[in-house]
This record gives sequence, structure tokens and C-alpha cells, in this order.
Amino acid sequence: MIVGGYRIELEPRLKSPRWLVYVVPVVSLLFAFVVAGIFLLGTGHNPFTTYGKLIDKGYTSYYGITDTLGLATPLICTGLAAAFAFRMNLFNIGEEGQMYLGMIGAAWAGIVLADNLPGVAAVPVVMLSGAAFGALWVLVPAVLRARLGPSETVSSLLLNYVALNLVNFLIFGSRTLWRDPSPFPDGQLVADSARLDRFGTTNVYPTLLIAAILAVFLWLFMRFSNYGYETSVFADSPNTARYAGMSASRLTVSVLLSSGALAGLAGSMYVVGPAGKVDPGLLQVGLGYAGIVVAALARYNFVAVILTAVLFAGLRVGGAALQISSDPVPIAIATVIQGAVLLFALGGEMFRKNRLRVRRIAGSPVRGAA
Amino acid sequence: MNASPEAVKGSHRSGGATLFALSARSVTKRFPGVLANDDVDFDLAAGEVHTLLGENGAGKSTLASVLCGLYRPDEGAVLRNGTQVRLSSPRHGLQHGIAMVHQHFRLVDRFSVAENVVLGDKRLSFFIDQDSINDRVSRIAEEFGLPIDPLAVVGELSAGQRQRVEIIKALYQGAEILLLDEPTALLAPPEVEKLFETVRTMAKAGKSVVFVSHKLGEVVDISDRITVMRDGKVTGSVGRGEADTRKLAELMVGREIDLSPRKAKAPAGGTMLKLHNVSLHRDGVAVVDNVSLEVRAGEIVGVAGVSGNGQRDLAELVAGLQSPTGGVITVDGREMNGAGTREMRANGLAYVPEDRLGTGLSPSLSIIDNMVLTRPRGLLVDRKAAGAEAERYITELEIKTPSPHTATRKLSGGNSQKVLLAREIFAQSDTTKVLVVCSPTRGLDVGAVETVHKVLDEARTKGKAVLLISEDLDEVLTLADKILVLYRGAVVHSADSNALDIEKVGLAMAGIS
Repeated sequence: MIVGGYRIELEPRLKSPRWLVYVVPVVSLLFAFVVAGIFLLGTGHNPFTTYGKLIDKGYTSYYGITDTLGLATPLICTGLAAAFAFRMNLFNIGEEGQMYLGMIGAAWAGIVLADNLPGVAAVPVVMLSGAAFGALWVLVPAVLRARLGPSETVSSLLLNYVALNLVNFLIFGSRTLWRDPSPFPDGQLVADSARLDRFGTTNVYPTLLIAAILAVFLWLFMRFSNYGYETSVFADSPNTARYAGMSASRLTVSVLLSSGALAGLAGSMYVVGPAGKVDPGLLQVGLGYAGIVVAALARYNFVAVILTAVLFAGLRVGGAALQISSDPVPIAIATVIQGAVLLFALGGEMFRKNRLRVRRIAGSPVRGAA
Repeated sequence: MNASPEAVKGSHRSGGATLFALSARSVTKRFPGVLANDDVDFDLAAGEVHTLLGENGAGKSTLASVLCGLYRPDEGAVLRNGTQVRLSSPRHGLQHGIAMVHQHFRLVDRFSVAENVVLGDKRLSFFIDQDSINDRVSRIAEEFGLPIDPLAVVGELSAGQRQRVEIIKALYQGAEILLLDEPTALLAPPEVEKLFETVRTMAKAGKSVVFVSHKLGEVVDISDRITVMRDGKVTGSVGRGEADTRKLAELMVGREIDLSPRKAKAPAGGTMLKLHNVSLHRDGVAVVDNVSLEVRAGEIVGVAGVSGNGQRDLAELVAGLQSPTGGVITVDGREMNGAGTREMRANGLAYVPEDRLGTGLSPSLSIIDNMVLTRPRGLLVDRKAAGAEAERYITELEIKTPSPHTATRKLSGGNSQKVLLAREIFAQSDTTKVLVVCSPTRGLDVGAVETVHKVLDEARTKGKAVLLISEDLDEVLTLADKILVLYRGAVVHSADSNALDIEKVGLAMAGIS
């Protein structure tokens, strides 16, 4: 870009200093709050008191913390799902639908199987069933991609709408085993043995620990295992993977199925946790799509997904609380902040890899360069 | 044009009174982290063929780009006939009669030769008189010995013919000075000879030619003067007759270089690799056509040929990356038809592909991670052993890298090739019996070429059977004990290195038998 007699250029950094990795996200976050602050001012709210309330309701008050951690639990899983596929340059954006299917699969196992299982086995079976349903939902996009090549991005996205309508059909449009027999349309509750107790009076379930342990395990596994090695070779250079005799289709399918299973697990965590059934309320939350954002913010690092999921869940919880406070702030503001966070975080990446240089154009007059 | 007269600084040549057609004075050009040209002086006389010789990254292409107006120098000046010119673009350079023919052609495939030549010519009226254009193109072609059909579609021409189109285009646009960037890289020997004739004709007609090259052998004949660059600086400039390849190599590399032929010192052993009537058909075309060959332990069999004549497919067949549609491949006495690349490796075959960074190595992964790429790995990757191995070869092969954790894409071509050779040749030297090596020195510096040749020679001495597939005929002649020529997927010529008619090999490469 040339302004006056100056040339403004982005120049690739030869080395990006270690500290930039931490500074860039923090500065991006600040910028996001400044931009959202302008919106707040425009709608007649004091940004500082609003942010104070947001932080209090989202992160520092008792109910804020517990609600945030409760919401973060499935979000960690959908975030891991997105990150897992992204790491191999596969763009599974069907976490939303895979999560619904996870919910359906978990509820099925909880209603049909759980009563016939020993107590300790019920919850694991229900969760695995959810994961399996989530994986199955991405099977067709995965096989299509591996065998014929059409983009998994589009096919996995389209299946979200199918899954959405499937949930609506099961609860509102039919009388299947997923629907409670009562006249009011709602999901049928699973067996008690298939549910976990919350911690005390909180909204936090033991599934939070499962999600966190899973994140750490995945990080270790992909770092040290042969499978993790092969996926990183494939992501880096498919030709090299072929040269080394790795099977592209096997890797593609297995990575996408794992990603779907993680998203399905998020759905099953609803069933063993707060919902206990196929809950059409989940359709409003958009945790699958949010998982993509969470993964992007975490730079596809599995452990960082835990942090970004909590950050994001807090914005949701705090934003929702602002709506019903004494000086109600529209929920849309929370969405603006989320959008701004993503935009600046991804934009900030550019400054981590490049530096801005402003140079006088050699030989040109300062103003009115030819 | 904002050229302003300025005094010409003294030239480094004797007899500084000459007015040069084109000069660079103290040109400095920086890129992020690289000083590509460091205070460079360069003088080109009218009617002179002047070679810019240097290794990759020596700065010769940068200098050529500065001279043609593609880059602006950060410091220093470009002088045309003794007058400073500030070239703002290649088009501006053309107005001063300076044109560059790039290594990668910039032609429209679907246009005819004549249409490509006049593309961008602002003198043309709205309605184009095809006949007169064809006529002018033919005239230029004839005058400078560049035979071409003006009506031919460029997409159907060979690399050599496309290059002719580029040269005709430059001449059509009125170029007095032609900068040719690595012009022989894609040509077969007879085409190179043809190009040299054209260059001589142009020089006789008073035009100046700058020949940018890293190939020592070919530039000595054609050049009136050779200027050698290293690390962005000019290290020497020698006139016709003063040049000898040994001295030039030393100027290029900064130390003495041995590129003399290396041949087997002991008789070859038993047959380790055998191809019998091997073919590969793709879309109804035989890309590998009935190839039979044998490589014995302790010998190097060289496969020469111009790029794109089935070398890659042949290598992939032997390496097990593709399955032949006909014929039998035998490794160490075992028929390997239908075997995948992992089975081939398990049976003692190692493969160094031509595309080292995008195929042989995983560019973003570290040297350590690349060491285990073609090894059997357990559930977990043993990076400790790989790390020790990496350290050892970094020392033994003098691989220049900040650490074994460095991503291979950050290494120079020579150093990444050493990593690849270390993995494929040394690390499994007990079990490897057959080596398939493709264009191992393509794009490498002279110094690295010497190392690679030494490594391959050592592998032969240790009793490996080496199949060397290379587009660089000099390389095949230097190393191979037996030479085959591949043309359109078939072996069209074969000879022992001690009973070789080089002319026949060259003709065979061009498809003339």
C-alpha cells in the first residue's frame, strides 16, 4: 500500500519471538473489547460498568463460575473435535449436527440399554454410544472425501441441517422412544443409572473432568504416537505421506471419524449431565459452531482449547445475565464481543507472522509521488 | 522518463574509457534477512555475451532483475550507455531496450506464437493485421536462427520452442540487451547448441546478452566474459580465454572443488535390481514403455533424458509407489510386482525422489522427525534414537542447521538433500541393497554437488546397486558405469561408460536415433 511518499508493507518475520505468542492474543482481546465498547456507547451503555458486570456474571461470581464451567464442558469437546480435524487440514464444520446425533445416540442407550447394564457400566456405555453416533454422522462426508474428493466442509455442514430436522422430528413430529409419552412435546428421560450427579449445588458435572483429561490425553497422544506423527506428515505434505507409504484415505477417514466422535461425546455429556434426554433446547445454543471458534482461538492446540472454551462460555453466560440485569444490555452485544474476539485473534496471527514496515519510497518526493 | 545524466564511475576493467551498454554501479539490494546484492558492479559491452555465474542464492538473478527493471536497487545505480536510468518496471526497462527471459516462461498457452509475441504491444491498432504480424515474427525468427511456426499454439510447443518464442518476443519489442535467466535448465543438448548459435548471432548483430547460469561446464564456450558472484558479491570477472572451470568453481564456492568423474573401482557383483519389459500405461499412453534394465551390486546405472520423458514414473514403479501395467520388477531375486512402497523398503530398497522437500521430506517437520519418515515405527515414535542419529549426520555430512529440531524447509537445498541422503543411504546401510536416486543435485550448489557425488560413489563402493535417474547429463556421465537414455518412456540408447559416444547420447535424448 502506498500512502503519500511512503510504502507500507507487511514483511514476513524470520523469527517470531516467543513472547509474541502470548502478547498477540491478549492485545487482540483488548482490541475486541474496545470495538465492542464502541457498540455499547452507541446503545447508551457505559462500557466499563457493562464489562465489569459481564466479568462478574461470567467469571468471578459463584454462579458465574459454575454456569460457565458447566457450559464449557461440552464446548471443550466440540472444540477438540474441530481442532482434531483442523490439524490434518480437514475442515469438519459439522460438529453441530454430530453433537445432536451424539445426544440422540446417548439417549437411545440411556433409555434402551442402561436398565439392563450393571450400574457402573451405564454411563460409559451411554457416552460411547453418543460418540459412535457422532462418528457415524460424519462417515459419509469422510468416505466421500477420501474416495472421491468432494469437500468435507460442505457435506459436513449440510448434514447439520439434516440433524437439526431429525431432532425436531423425534421430539415434535413423531412418537418414537426418544419422545416422552406426555402430551407436551419433550424428550424421554434416560434411566437414572445413566446419569451423573452434579458437584454440590453447582451446574458442573464430572464430565468436565472427562473433557479436560481427554484434552490432555489427545495432546500427548498426537505428540508422541505414530498416529499423531502420520497425521502431521500428511497435513504438512500429502506427497510426502504417499512417498512414505502412508494411506491417505485411512488417515482421512479415521481423523474425521474421531472428530465426529468427539462432537458426539459433547452431545452425550448433555444426556448424562444436565438434560437427561434429547433436549430441543440444545438446538438454540450452537455449541457445535462455537467449538470451531474455540478451536481457532486455541490455534488448534488441544490443551489451549480448555482455556478458550472457558473464556467463550463465560462470555455466553455473562452476556445472558446482562440481558436480565437492572440496566438490560441486548444479548447481541455478547455476540458482538465474541465475533470481535475471533476477528482480532485471527487478525493478530498476521502480526505474529509478519511485521509492519513503513518506508519512504526511494527517490520520490515526500508528497505527490509519481 | 526521469533519467538524469550522471558521471560514470570508474570501471573495474582495464581501459575504463569504454562506454558500456549497461552497467550496475554499487548496487545493493536487500530482502528480509538477506543481503542479495552487496555493492555490486557489473559492466556489459555492446555485442558482448556476458555470463553471470554463481551458486543458488549468490545474487545473480537478483542482479539481473535489477538490470531489467523488475527490482529497484536499495542503493546504487543502473547505467544505460553511461547515463543513469531509474527503471520502475520491466516495461520501463523495455523502453530502454532491456528485456529479460525468465526461467519460468510467461506465455499464454492458448494463444499462437504470433499472438504471444505481440501481446502487450501498444503500437498495434484495434484491428490486428494477422498477416503482417506473422510476417514480422517469421523475419525475426529467420534472422536470428529461431525456427518456429508463427501460427503454432504455444501450449503444444516444447520447452525449447517456448523459449524461442520468449526470445522472439523480446527482439520484437526492440530489445538490444537480453537477460536470459538459467536458459538451459529445461533443454536437451541439441537444443542447448541451437540456443548458443542464436546467442552468437545476436551478439554479431550488436546485441548484448547476459547469461545467468550456475552450470560451469556450458558457459565457458559461449561467454566473452564471465562474472562470478558469491554471497551477493562479485568475486571475480574473467575474459574469454582466461577462464578455466577449476578456477571458476573456486570463485563460485570459495574453495577447491573436485567434480572429476568417479567410476567403479571394483567389478560389479550380482544383479540386485532387474526390470523386465516393465510398462506403465496411463490414459491409454505408455508413460513407461517396455523398459528392461539390470543394476548389479557395486555399480551405478545412469538413466539420462530430458525432463518429462517418464523418469518420475519409472522411479515410482521401482519404488513401489505405482504398480506396473506390464512386466516384472525383481529386487534381490524376489519378484516384487504389486508390492507397495513399504514392502519394497522392507526388501532393501531406498528411494531418493527428485522433489526432495515436497516428497522426500516433510517440510514443516524437524530434521529429527524426518529421520523416522521411512522407518518402521511402533505405537510411539522413538525420537530419542532419531535425535541421536540426526546429530550424528549433522556432524558427518556437515549439514548446516541451527539444531536438529529445525524444520527442513528452513534448510538450503543442499542441506535438505543431505538430510534425505542421510536417511535413505546411511541410516539403513546394513539392510539397503538397492538405491533409486532421482536428480539428486538438481538446483544444488557446486559444493553440495561434490558432496552428493561423493556420497553416491561411497554407496557404490560399499556394494549398493544404484539406479541414478537424472536430467543432468553431466552428472550421469560423471558417476554412471552404464548409461541408458530414456525418451518418451522407452530406453532408446544404452552404452557402457568406457565405450560411450556422447554425440549419440545427446541425439538420443532429443529423440533422434
